[in-house]
Amino acid sequence: MTTLAITINGRAYGPTEVRDDLTMNDFLREYLGMTGTKFGCGAAQCLSCAVIVDRPDGTSYTSPTCIVPAASFDGKAIRTVEGHARNGELSDLQKAFIDHFAFQCGYCTAGFLNEGQVLLERLAKTPVARAKLETTIAEALDGHICRCTGYIKYHEAVRDVILADPKRYLV
Amino acid sequence: MKSEMRVRMLIAVAALTTSVLTSYAASQTSANTLASPESFGAINAPEARSAAMFTELGKVLTHPRCVNCHPAGDRPHQANEGRLHQPPVERGADGRGLPAMRCSICHQNANFDPGRVPGHPDWHLAPREMAWEGKAVGEICAQIKDPARNGGRKPEDLIHHIGEDTLVGWAWAPGYGRSPAPGTQKEAGALVEAWVKSGAICPVN
Repeated sequence: MTTLAITINGRAYGPTEVRDDLTMNDFLREYLGMTGTKFGCGAAQCLSCAVIVDRPDGTSYTSPTCIVPAASFDGKAIRTVEGHARNGELSDLQKAFIDHFAFQCGYCTAGFLNEGQVLLERLAKTPVARAKLETTIAEALDGHICRCTGYIKYHEAVRDVILADPKRYLV
Repeated sequence: MKSEMRVRMLIAVAALTTSVLTSYAASQTSANTLASPESFGAINAPEARSAAMFTELGKVLTHPRCVNCHPAGDRPHQANEGRLHQPPVERGADGRGLPAMRCSICHQNANFDPGRVPGHPDWHLAPREMAWEGKAVGEICAQIKDPARNGGRKPEDLIHHIGEDTLVGWAWAPGYGRSPAPGTQKEAGALVEAWVKSGAICPVN
């Protein structure tokens, strides 16, 4: 058993004892009931299970949860799909996903949403040239698998959010 | 002219002898075990004995547990069949992944068998100049002796690196579903030490 204390979507959980062989995905879904984070391939290859990990320096990255022990998240702050909306108001990216009909079955959406959000926050800190935007989005979303093949719609949704506020995201 | 021919013949005979003896010594152990340095005592010629010990060590160096992270390209390999790593990660500037996909995001401090993920605190790819993928044992030997391609190590440093480094040692405790490297790390270290002390002679490919 290992002690786990974690901040999820700004709320502190634990310290609590977790099994060493418990995955982060099971901790979120089975222990906390946060089922927005999906379990897909179980091998970190589809990234439907990805969550956002916030570093102390203010930067973020996504991490799969299906193959990673919950204990390895001790002391970390993460965000899940449940944490994007504020006071019932969807985030710009969530709205763009809906506007573009980006998802059908929705199983991969949480992962795409988290990855897209990390990209937006990264671009807000280090904007890119318009000419590099398509490649930047494609590289960011690369690795996320959509069984319904909604790739271009996710791509366009992310692009629309960025182009709606070019002074923030582009140079 | 005659003397040049004689030298060439001697070299050819020596190479053939080394090759035959090396094969003989290597055949004394199975693919999953390592012969001890003492077991090569029957090879009288010191150079042939040294080369034969490296050939035996080659069973470790060419094993998927080692080659998978000494790839020829920028992507690590995985599993016993040495397939390209999935998800499609790349080495990055420091051999520890790209900024958005660092090795340590998935590879924790230890193996995590429920997720089938191997782990070590220092998980990373060997530098590009240390690529072993696709190389014969003799080529790896020449490479491993070359400071420009072995991380600036002297042959003596390899005794510690192969015999005691804990990341190298992971190859003998790789976790669920992965075959460990042949023998033990201690046995591999003993072979390296004996090879170095016998002149660090490389086998003929």
